[in-house]
Amino acid sequence: MKPLGLPLPMFLVFVIVILAGSLGLIHYLIVHVLLRRPFGDELPGARPGIAIRGDRPAGEPSEGGSR
Amino acid sequence: MSGANPYFLTAFVIYLIILMAIAVWAARRTKTVMDFWVFGQKMGPTLATWSLIANFVSSVSVIGFTGAVYASGYSLMTHTILGLMLGVSGLYFVVGLVRRLNVLTFPDLVARVTGRQAARPLAGSVLLLSGWLYLVMQLVGAGLLVTAITGVPYHYIVWILGIVFILYTAVGGLVSVAWTDLFQGVIMVGSIIITLAYMVGDLGGLTEINTRFAEMNPGFVDPTGGGQLSWAMIGATFLAFFGTLFTEQDMLIRIAATKDVRTAKIHLAAAGAILSVLYSMLVLLGGATAVALVGSGMGVENPDAAFPTLITRYVPTWIGAALVLGVMSAILSTTDTRLHAIGMTVARDMYSYFRPHVSEGHLMRVSRTATVVLGLLATAAAMNPPGTIIVLYGFRAVLLTSAFLIPVYVAIYWTALDGRAVLAAIIAGAVVGLGAQIAGGSIGPVPATFCGVGAAIALLLIAQLALGSRRKQEAALATVAADEGVS
Repeated sequence: MKPLGLPLPMFLVFVIVILAGSLGLIHYLIVHVLLRRPFGDELPGARPGIAIRGDRPAGEPSEGGSR
Repeated sequence: MSGANPYFLTAFVIYLIILMAIAVWAARRTKTVMDFWVFGQKMGPTLATWSLIANFVSSVSVIGFTGAVYASGYSLMTHTILGLMLGVSGLYFVVGLVRRLNVLTFPDLVARVTGRQAARPLAGSVLLLSGWLYLVMQLVGAGLLVTAITGVPYHYIVWILGIVFILYTAVGGLVSVAWTDLFQGVIMVGSIIITLAYMVGDLGGLTEINTRFAEMNPGFVDPTGGGQLSWAMIGATFLAFFGTLFTEQDMLIRIAATKDVRTAKIHLAAAGAILSVLYSMLVLLGGATAVALVGSGMGVENPDAAFPTLITRYVPTWIGAALVLGVMSAILSTTDTRLHAIGMTVARDMYSYFRPHVSEGHLMRVSRTATVVLGLLATAAAMNPPGTIIVLYGFRAVLLTSAFLIPVYVAIYWTALDGRAVLAAIIAGAVVGLGAQIAGGSIGPVPATFCGVGAAIALLLIAQLALGSRRKQEAALATVAADEGVS
């Protein structure tokens, strides 16, 4: 069997590459479109402001060994 | 200039004028440093998706990949392209958490997971060097290609390209970059589809192309190149390219620029699907190029010359002109994004660490200055790139993946990890990965990327075990001391 003139292993590599790149899209359609699961940042205040000058955002640990 | 093709040259000039007009329009919307850095964190799904696609497909992809297929067949799909595509999907699955961490750059992320702000300038230095080298090599490839196609001398082309992308990146930051990327991405994808459709029609169909390609060399249609590639090398190349998706500065910056987690997810999901089809088409176009050129007696010695030869000698002029624009888009959309990323690295990750209390206006000026200076330096280096740059460029995928992939992304999920263990793993991965690459690309039979990633995993676990048991001892001693104090 030679789909599109390619040996089967090579053809399968093409299919795998397209599937690999589409995993995110498949997940998105199933989980967020069909099952309507939320994204986790919908609640007001769920997204704290970013410190523009690179200071630590409020509540971040100070310099130290562990987080 | 006497050999210049007037049609290609006209298309090239009109393209640059349209690009500058879009950039000037977009630049008027850049008002704050957050606009300049991350589009004011208001980038929507369409712009983010096309910005990612346009940045992703570079001159290396168009010229290098078609050239690699011309010389070695479709095995490129088994390692490099599979690694890249799985990397985009992998990033989709972690992007929700990364986006919620509210970091602007990759060094921000490293600082966050290690608990050490000093990690910002350190990681920033590595990313700055990596990004700048990438920029130089893109300019070199772009200059050679456009010279081959248009007939304009190399040094003119490099300076024209350099000045155009430096100007619009410095003026409008990510706003200009994203809007020009949208224009460039559509042209690029359109030109590749048109060209492949023409070649399929011209050569009698896809099955005929692949059959004739296999007749040239059966190894061309084998996943391992007819046994030329060992599975260890395939795995190492796959891992190196997979890892770069998670560790490159421009990917993190675009994620930060999206307006919410939904947009961040959509842009990776959609771009992954489109890119996987587009790269499959590019690889097939490489096969068609080989069949067409060899079959018509136009075979080339240098594989990188295959695609320019197809444009200038094989396809009709109107398709050639469309391809010139497609290739230009691939070049400029990648170089502008990288230049913006390294300019931001200097201002955000390095300058603001040492001078944390400067105004936003001051940071904007630093970003613009860094963009112009680094862009000019890259353009100057591309005029006559020293051999060391080419050697260093080959190390960047191994270095980024070995140093950052496992420690940073494991730490995002394993919140109990000690920051010192993460830092130790980053250093171990970088030293071992880079050392193995310098030693010839492997240690014994083990490829450099496996060595680097393996060292990072080993040190992460060992350091965590050691530091974890030490913390338990300290906690136990503190409890005993507290009990004694009470009694």
